[in-house]
Amino acid sequence: MQHKIIQDYNEAVYDTDRDKALEVINRALADGITPEQIVFDVIIPAMEAMMASISKDFDANLAQHFMAAQIASEVTEEMISRFQNPPESLGTIVIGTSVGDMHTLGKRIVSGCLRSMMIDVVDLGVNVKPETFVDKAVEINAPVIAISSMMMHTATSENGCLRVREILKERGLEDKIKLVVGGAPFRWDNDLYKTVGADAWADNGISAGEMIKKFVLESRS
Amino acid sequence: MITGMERLVAAINGEKSDRIPVFCNLLDQGADELGIASLQEYYANGEHVAEAQLRMREKYGYDNVWSLFYVGKEAELLGCEKITFSKGGPPNVEDYVIKNYDDIVNLEIPDDISALPAFEENLKCLNILKREVGGKQPICAYLTSGITLPAILMGMDKWLELLLMGPTDIRDLLIAKCSEFFQKEIDAFRKAGADVLVYSQPFGSTDIMPMRLIKELTLPSMKMDIEPGGVGGLVYYCGSSPFNNVIDMMIKELGIGVFYLSPKDDIAEAKKIINGRALTCGVINDIKLVSWSREEIRAEVKRMCEAGMPGGKFLFGTLVMPYDIPKQNIRAMLEAAYEYGSY
Repeated sequence: MQHKIIQDYNEAVYDTDRDKALEVINRALADGITPEQIVFDVIIPAMEAMMASISKDFDANLAQHFMAAQIASEVTEEMISRFQNPPESLGTIVIGTSVGDMHTLGKRIVSGCLRSMMIDVVDLGVNVKPETFVDKAVEINAPVIAISSMMMHTATSENGCLRVREILKERGLEDKIKLVVGGAPFRWDNDLYKTVGADAWADNGISAGEMIKKFVLESRS
Repeated sequence: MITGMERLVAAINGEKSDRIPVFCNLLDQGADELGIASLQEYYANGEHVAEAQLRMREKYGYDNVWSLFYVGKEAELLGCEKITFSKGGPPNVEDYVIKNYDDIVNLEIPDDISALPAFEENLKCLNILKREVGGKQPICAYLTSGITLPAILMGMDKWLELLLMGPTDIRDLLIAKCSEFFQKEIDAFRKAGADVLVYSQPFGSTDIMPMRLIKELTLPSMKMDIEPGGVGGLVYYCGSSPFNNVIDMMIKELGIGVFYLSPKDDIAEAKKIINGRALTCGVINDIKLVSWSREEIRAEVKRMCEAGMPGGKFLFGTLVMPYDIPKQNIRAMLEAAYEYGSY
């Protein structure tokens, strides 16, 4: 039953069909599946299945990544409002685009993906100063700072990830906070994340969600 | 001496000249070429852009010049009032023209693009390029397709939301308006002397859209864009996203005659698919040009030429070259392209 729901739900997501995906969820609710089961037994496993597919070279495209994150976060938010008891958050991370970068899509996909997996996200928006990333991460005890950069000069800028790394070093926070980057330049040069001082990079928003979840879980152990 | 235009025409016709045409897309580097410290100051004057384009082409010897300032210029033509400039890279749209769906309903497409004050510097630039190298070197213009333009008018995530989740009437209205803008823009550029019209269409790549949606949404919008003015000079380009698997459809459905591949596309496979029906442009991963050694650059250019040159109808090109690429690497790439691209 659960397997069939996950399969139908992911088929709708792969087909970028939001109405059909919501129909699958509503049908499951009508059949007596609880909101808690929808989130923990359908949405999270479905997202994990999509992550696994992508890591095995499943040829998903940007529209599918966007819809997967959008629908999952939308359904999760709706279901949580119906929970008997509020769910425990796995942690909170900080995300934003680097200085000079106005592109919002990548962080929106990552955020949607994380929220559907019970990880809270503080979105600092676009054109974020390095100090702001670190100050906010310290304030909320975030184990991860995620920086999205869609252009080469914003990815490699001295006011971007490079400066965030310097501040983490200056404040002795390198063991506590991981630095994850994403965006087009990192797809064209897979070693660029090292050049800018990041701990990791991800090829797309869904894989970034998987990477960040791993760091969040590690920080709890 | 043979000109860039003669090389390009020969390649399109499947004939051999001295070597393959080589397109090198240097934009922001123009400011440095003229010794202007600020990109904002550089792009404020069409004479700067024209002068720098002419100088860089002369200095490096490649086969094209650009009338493109930066992509956000198209948003400015439709009312964008704020562009963010930075030192080391292309300007960004900061103020979106479309903030809500009412803005889509109220969006007005100007009748005559060339009469807009925001187009004045483009025209100045084009007039100089036409006067100096018209007919001798291909003059390139950059035009965003009707289904892609909303991304710079409202932001990519808001556009994807509307495109994929509706309301469909608002979505279709915006595509129709942006397509109308495209038709007028391409007409303005053609009249001003642009020969090579780079049609930016990321939504025509299956890295961005599923094939089903390319057929249902992208293709009909492309017909709206292209059919009124025809495909003369049009270059299919998906903004660095690969598209080998749509090439056949684009030739059969639209008759497009030039394909500017992604560095991720297999050049030999593209040539096989195209099978002499169009010009294939092999494109180097220019992000790697920042860090590659001279030997690595030469090896990559050699590989690309060997994959693309058999059977002719091949051009070597770059994406929009990042500002950080060292000048010696630009030279190494071009020298290799001239050497391995010789007939």
